[in-house]
Amino acid sequence: MQFRSVFILLLSFLLVSGVYGQGDKKERIRLNAAYVHVIDQEHYLNIKASARVNKETVEVADAELVISQELEDEEIELGTAKTNARGTCKFVIEDFGALQADEEGIYHITVSFNGNDDFKRGSKEVTFKAADISAELVTKDSVNYVNARLIDTRLDSAIAEVPLTVQVDRLFRPFKIEKDFFMTDEDGAVEVAIPDGIPGVDGKLQLEVVLNENDDYGTVKRILVAQIGKPIVDESTFDQRTMWSPRGKTPIFLLAVTYSFGFVVWGIFVYLFFNLIRIYKS
Amino acid sequence: MIMKTREQFIQDLAPKKFNKIEKIWLWVLIVVIFAGFLAYVDQVRRGLEVTNLNDYVLWGIYISNFVFFIATSFVGAATVAILRLTNNSWRTPLVRSAEIISLAATIMAGITIVIDLGRPDRMLNTIIYARFQSPITWDIIIIPSYLIGVLFLLYYPLLPDFAILKKYYAKTQPKLSKWYGKLSLKWTGSAKQVRIQQNSIRIAAVLILPLGLILQTIDAWLFSSTYRIGWNSTNFGPYFFSGAFVTGVGALVVCIYWVRKMKGLEEYITDYHFDKLGKFLGLACLIYLYFNANEYLMPAYASTVEEEAHLDTLFTGHYSNLFWFVTIGGLVIPVILLFFQRFRKPLPLFLIGLLVVLGAWWKRYIIIVPTLLHPYLPIQGVPESWREYFPSIHEWLITASNLATGLFIFTILVRYLPTVSIQRSIDEYEAAQLELNKKS
Repeated sequence: MQFRSVFILLLSFLLVSGVYGQGDKKERIRLNAAYVHVIDQEHYLNIKASARVNKETVEVADAELVISQELEDEEIELGTAKTNARGTCKFVIEDFGALQADEEGIYHITVSFNGNDDFKRGSKEVTFKAADISAELVTKDSVNYVNARLIDTRLDSAIAEVPLTVQVDRLFRPFKIEKDFFMTDEDGAVEVAIPDGIPGVDGKLQLEVVLNENDDYGTVKRILVAQIGKPIVDESTFDQRTMWSPRGKTPIFLLAVTYSFGFVVWGIFVYLFFNLIRIYKS
Repeated sequence: MIMKTREQFIQDLAPKKFNKIEKIWLWVLIVVIFAGFLAYVDQVRRGLEVTNLNDYVLWGIYISNFVFFIATSFVGAATVAILRLTNNSWRTPLVRSAEIISLAATIMAGITIVIDLGRPDRMLNTIIYARFQSPITWDIIIIPSYLIGVLFLLYYPLLPDFAILKKYYAKTQPKLSKWYGKLSLKWTGSAKQVRIQQNSIRIAAVLILPLGLILQTIDAWLFSSTYRIGWNSTNFGPYFFSGAFVTGVGALVVCIYWVRKMKGLEEYITDYHFDKLGKFLGLACLIYLYFNANEYLMPAYASTVEEEAHLDTLFTGHYSNLFWFVTIGGLVIPVILLFFQRFRKPLPLFLIGLLVVLGAWWKRYIIIVPTLLHPYLPIQGVPESWREYFPSIHEWLITASNLATGLFIFTILVRYLPTVSIQRSIDEYEAAQLELNKKS
């Protein structure tokens, strides 16, 4: 009897510790980071944190990340970021000029996660070289063209045979012009004809020339705003007072009619009530 | 002509206690009201699931009843105001009953809307979240306005009668006399009081006509402003307006007959009045028939697929018996019969009035339900129960209770108010006597 009690007690202890032990098992975090340079605007990293839990990939929210630059033996912290509910975050490199490249002109940036109760520590290194895209809009025989040139900034040399995308910025996803990409020639240049009739607010098109997720240079984007689109005629009645608007935007005529009705009819009622008082007092 | 004194008029027309039949009638009404009240309490407790309303037929018997009450309430505007303004003297014994019917029907229309909402506290939402673009909001504005208008139109002509009744009951029923005294607002019949009263009655009569017209039109727009087959019609305003004439005058005929019989007013509400009412009812039915022809024949001629399906349901389908009863029984037969004078006598006219009112109630039902059974957008996998609608026992009880409450209000008011204007009857009699004396 005593042996049985001790056995049950031990078994319970083992089971309970097993349950807690399962909770202690940490998952490995997976970090992805991509460098993006919007010329004349910003440099940033698009970071995504995920993990494999029960054979399924899940996004890791609220992961606190440290972004630093590795330079020989030295590690310079650039800042911190925290993933959102979708496991992503954007880290803007505020002072890109302060970064130092190695002898080959390559920048090394590390995204680190120091671990927490649920996930082990992990890190991801992003490397890239600096590139620049120059672009201009030219009109030849009434046809608009985007002439763009891609160069390696450090070497000041053209980057040939790489795909450049020319697209128009849109709300959900960009509208690519003609085809998915154009290969640069030996001068690093492309010339792309922009078709007529592309709609834009006030006729403005935000044209983008993009080097997309290149192994050496990351993503480099040049934005060009041109007044060559077909102006969008906004037919939305959202801001107008219509019969189908919410009650805050009732048509004025309807308010006028209803209030006038109220004032006239109820005004007469008040008069009739007043007449009853007059009868009473006379 | 039999010579009558002022006292005889007062004695004849003063409100009388309920007789045996009226007492039984009142108890029947109370029982029906109570049964409906219990059903309503259960509906509030369990929600609208106790009804057979569903995703298709979301306006069922309650809204049919609401539209019926709104239509009936029009009698106040139609008979009272039109006959007053055109100075038709035959109106005298009829107008007060018409005003009381209008008052009771308007009150009941408002109550029916609250019942249809399920939870009564949601009535507040119709005010708090009111959109002036919605015909429902217009209804919320017009119904109380019309009710107040009818009240004024009922009350002003009663002032001299209240003063007469105060004196009449001073010794026999002092409590009642006191009440009449308060309600008479110290009426003495002075020139100033008469001038103010007559002026106010004229204003109320002029006002009640557009109010009644707007009320009926808004009621029609509740339906026609939707893109529903059978509702989306430019004809709907006058269609409802003329239908209200039929319902209101039909109800008036029935109530007048009852009041005449119960209160012994055969001398005052004569065959002549019934003959006039019969002609009035016949004309109303004829006009309504014309709008019915517009409402059904044109869609049948143009015949889109959806219209055809809807009209088939009415002409030969599920609702054909009801449709033909309403059209032939409730309109065509009354029109034919009312061409003959013998059918404009009190009893035949009462029976015709009953038929018309019954037809008018079912008419609202077939305006509402068959249209809702044709969904605006086709839906797949619809439960079979949504394709049919017949009111549940709760709905029937509450509806019967609604109608009984309307009749209860009418019965109580005709118990305490003179149903034929005493002062006006005396004045008209004296004027006739004077005219007679002049001639002789």
